[in-house]
Amino acid sequence: MASRVSLKSKGKASGKGSKASAEEKSTAQSLKEWSTWAVKKAKVITHYGFIPLIIIIGMNSEPKPQLSQLLSPV
Amino acid sequence: MATALNVPPATTTTTLPQMKKEEEKVDYLNLPCPIPYEEIHREALMSLKPELFEGMRFDFTKGLNQKFSLSHSVFMGPMEIPSQSSETIKIPTAHYEFGANFIDPKLMLFGRILTDGRLNARVKGDLTENLSLKANAQLTNEPHMSHGMVSFDYKGKDYRTQFQLGNGALFGANYIQSVTPHLSFGGEVFWAGQHRKSGIGYAARYNTDKMVATGQVASTGLVALSYVQKVSEKVSLASDLMYNYMSKDVTASFGYDYILRQCRLRGKIDSNGCVAAFLEERLNMGLNFILSSELDHRKKDYKFGFGLTVGE
Repeated sequence: MASRVSLKSKGKASGKGSKASAEEKSTAQSLKEWSTWAVKKAKVITHYGFIPLIIIIGMNSEPKPQLSQLLSPV
Repeated sequence: MATALNVPPATTTTTLPQMKKEEEKVDYLNLPCPIPYEEIHREALMSLKPELFEGMRFDFTKGLNQKFSLSHSVFMGPMEIPSQSSETIKIPTAHYEFGANFIDPKLMLFGRILTDGRLNARVKGDLTENLSLKANAQLTNEPHMSHGMVSFDYKGKDYRTQFQLGNGALFGANYIQSVTPHLSFGGEVFWAGQHRKSGIGYAARYNTDKMVATGQVASTGLVALSYVQKVSEKVSLASDLMYNYMSKDVTASFGYDYILRQCRLRGKIDSNGCVAAFLEERLNMGLNFILSSELDHRKKDYKFGFGLTVGE
């Protein structure tokens, strides 16, 4: 979706200004937009997945604990 | 024969003083590795800034194996929110926090998540023998309120250097070097892109077995000096002075730290009229009782807290 937005703006800009400056602007803009999109996705993934990741790594370490030990309060 | 018998003792008595002198002579090529730059005030912070809290706190840590443990923590009490006026605004809150820790000599993962969706994550790993990576993040559901910071630490023979990257275009680097077996000097630079601020700072630390003295100056206007004296095995006294030469703000504090067999008692008194004490009492193996109090006579804000910690 972000890439479609940038293509539309590239089309409009090339219609108005010169082609060389439009391409430079769009590569810098698309790079910034992609990196912002990547950082946002990474933040959501870390937010939901960090604690499950620790639990998975912990449950696979030696000596392997039982699943019941994970859920029981004792 | 008598002379032959006499000769060895004479040589030993002359070599002993020589050996002692060599030990006392400093080997400048073999200095110990200094403490990381951000821990330069470690002893003073441990004594003077315990984790004071207000309300009730209950922590339960359950170890599943040597390296992996889960923790459940409940907190009920007023939380202070920063306000512009001189009055402190407190809002009663209660939250439950679930956490998981994985501690390995090479990798340490620490995560805590609260009921309101805030995540506190810390990662510390050794990439090679001397290079280690540390990252920490506080993520929230509110937009633009999350922070993250990554740092790369390199440990040399008698120096340490660190490079940090944070969100909001925050860059920092610091370096600390041991100059004698007791003295080390360090410096740091940082640049904050979002606030368009940059700063440079210097620090020095002198420590022996009995005392630690540190000093730190920064271009943000901060001057911090601290001195910790270990009076005996169980008692240590600390004092600290913070001066901001831009805002002309001075705070001096003096504190004590008693580490006894069944408890640890820390107390401090401040030049802002604040007296605080923190007691951790070991009732039984794995059961700790915590009492915390902070009396701020100037603002007339009195905070008392109690808690229980179960598990290691």
